[in-house]
Amino acid sequence: MGQVMQYLLNGTMNGALYALIAVGIVSIFKSTKVVSFAHGHVIMFGAYFYFTFAVILPGAEFMPDWVAKWEPEWLLAYKEGAMMFSPKAAIAAWVSNLPRIVLGLVGSIICNALLAVVIERLFMRPLLGQSSLSMILCTVGLIWVLEGSASLIWSADIDQVPALGPNFPIRFQLFGDQVFLFSASVVNFVIALLLFAALMLVLRFTRSGVAIRATAEDQSTAYAMGINVPAVFTSAWVVAATTGAVAGAILASRNGLSPTLGLFGLSVLAVVLMGGLDSFAGVFIAAMIIGIMEAFTQWKFGGEYAEIVPYVLVLVVILWRPNGLLGQAEIERI
Amino acid sequence: MLTIENINVNYHHAVQVLKGFSLTVNQGEITALLGANGAGKTTVLKAASGLLGLENGHIEDGQIQLDGVSILKTKPHMLARNGLVHVREGRRIFAEMSVEDNLTAASYALTGRHKKADYQQVYDFFPRLKERSKQLAGLLSGGEQQMLAIGRAILAQPKLILLDEPSLGLAPKIVDEIFEIVRRINQEQGVSMLLVEQNAAAAFRVAHQGYILENGKVVLEGSIDELKQNKDIQTFYLGMGEHQDASSFRDVKHYKRRKRWLN
Ligand SMILES: Nc1ncnc2c1ncn2[C@@H]1O[C@H](COP(=O)(O)OP(=O)(O)OP(=O)(O)O)[C@@H](O)[C@H]1O
Ligand SMILES: [Mg+2]
Repeated sequence: MGQVMQYLLNGTMNGALYALIAVGIVSIFKSTKVVSFAHGHVIMFGAYFYFTFAVILPGAEFMPDWVAKWEPEWLLAYKEGAMMFSPKAAIAAWVSNLPRIVLGLVGSIICNALLAVVIERLFMRPLLGQSSLSMILCTVGLIWVLEGSASLIWSADIDQVPALGPNFPIRFQLFGDQVFLFSASVVNFVIALLLFAALMLVLRFTRSGVAIRATAEDQSTAYAMGINVPAVFTSAWVVAATTGAVAGAILASRNGLSPTLGLFGLSVLAVVLMGGLDSFAGVFIAAMIIGIMEAFTQWKFGGEYAEIVPYVLVLVVILWRPNGLLGQAEIERI
Repeated sequence: MLTIENINVNYHHAVQVLKGFSLTVNQGEITALLGANGAGKTTVLKAASGLLGLENGHIEDGQIQLDGVSILKTKPHMLARNGLVHVREGRRIFAEMSVEDNLTAASYALTGRHKKADYQQVYDFFPRLKERSKQLAGLLSGGEQQMLAIGRAILAQPKLILLDEPSLGLAPKIVDEIFEIVRRINQEQGVSMLLVEQNAAAAFRVAHQGYILENGKVVLEGSIDELKQNKDIQTFYLGMGEHQDASSFRDVKHYKRRKRWLN
């Protein structure tokens, strides 16, 4: 029994990451009615951009040394005598990585935003007014374009990328259970939640949020009321790609960099379908359920089952509610 | 204000809906566009507001001008920002947003115009919307939704409103209320309007000029006073006279009559 809390926590943290990935798919779908099958590969690009700006670039000849390894006097003094794996040592290591972490994040967010603009302008905009099916198929084609170009661009050996937060083990008691976490996972979890929450707040309470919601509900009427709908489309892709850049950085630091990242992102599409393509709340709930289910199956039945059982659940939910947990019935026709 | 000259419109390059259609809305006037179901009235409005392209509709020939400037290639949001606002058939309010957010969405039409959104003005026209400003628009009654649709247009401070069947599905009392507001918007704000209606009697009460559309062609046009005198209009649109059961204008040899108005 003793490990329930442990797996619940693991599952919740994975769930938050799924939610962060799913946010991109939902925001694109809500405003453009396009299901982006390429979102996983956009995330993969984010991960590679993070690698480029946090590892390759700081190591380049022309970069000052402090970008790769920042060691001011006070930091050396601080870590003096710190034990290996101690929080102190981990924090010191993180601080000296901080310049390249920041560079990596900023770089991957900007590059991914540009990538989104290019995709939207080049592949989506010309199809505006056509059926959304043709746009959806276009995103499927994008998978191969992105995968192919990634392997052309990043042929060099892949190194470890720095985690976004300091990484040390944490042990504590939770409802009588002994639990164990890595601090980096906690930081990732908090980042994912904050991004998700920030997006919800913008959508709910800002004027731009009104324009996005209006477009989501009725594109042509929003357009006729003075809302620049094509610009809303572009911003939906940019939101997806930038949250995807952060997700990519997290995934790369957690699981390492590889082209399979794209497929991982694709599997989150199942979470989105379960929650309801057009519902942020539904998708958040679904992400948590899947995360926790996965953790518990892993615990009880082992890793092979962890890849299957949650998706069986997705199928069951979709059979029971074809539009997902909180999805709107109207989207059935797409 | 708005001139449409000789346009041909089709959908999917297949169905020809408007054939050599022309119409003028004079500054400060309400022009009524009447016609049976499927005549092409909504298509005229979509052609003017730039929405046609979104539905695979095409303007093959002719010209549409707003204040003497061609708007054939202008995007819908830029038309709204230039003062041409389309209140669409079926109201098309944003059901999942609050009444106030619906109005905020309309404030995008003020972009680049150095004007402030005047919510109070809308609430003065429609006090009922004020009471429900925080409520979800989808929960409003049909009449209130139509008020919101018109309220959004008012908030956009337009010079021309294209108004598509505001009386659709509403009780006579609400129709009267709404047309009274339409008249006030026209008179107090000096807003010109192109009013599409099935309810000719209501439209005639507020309009200055009128056009009758049949199968994509104008068959009659003139001032409202002239139209009111017309026997066929009285019979088929105003429900007077002995042919009350006849349902379509088609049975009549209307070209003769058309000539009478055009000469
Ligand atoms: N998006 C579209 N695609 C194809 N055909 C269309 C489309 N919209 C309208 N039509 C066709 O164009 C014709 C005119 O339609 P329109 O909506 O302009 O008529 P209307 O006069 O507004 O009718 P109503 O009084 O019923 O609203 C109809 O035959 C209709 O079937
Ligand atoms: Mg119509």
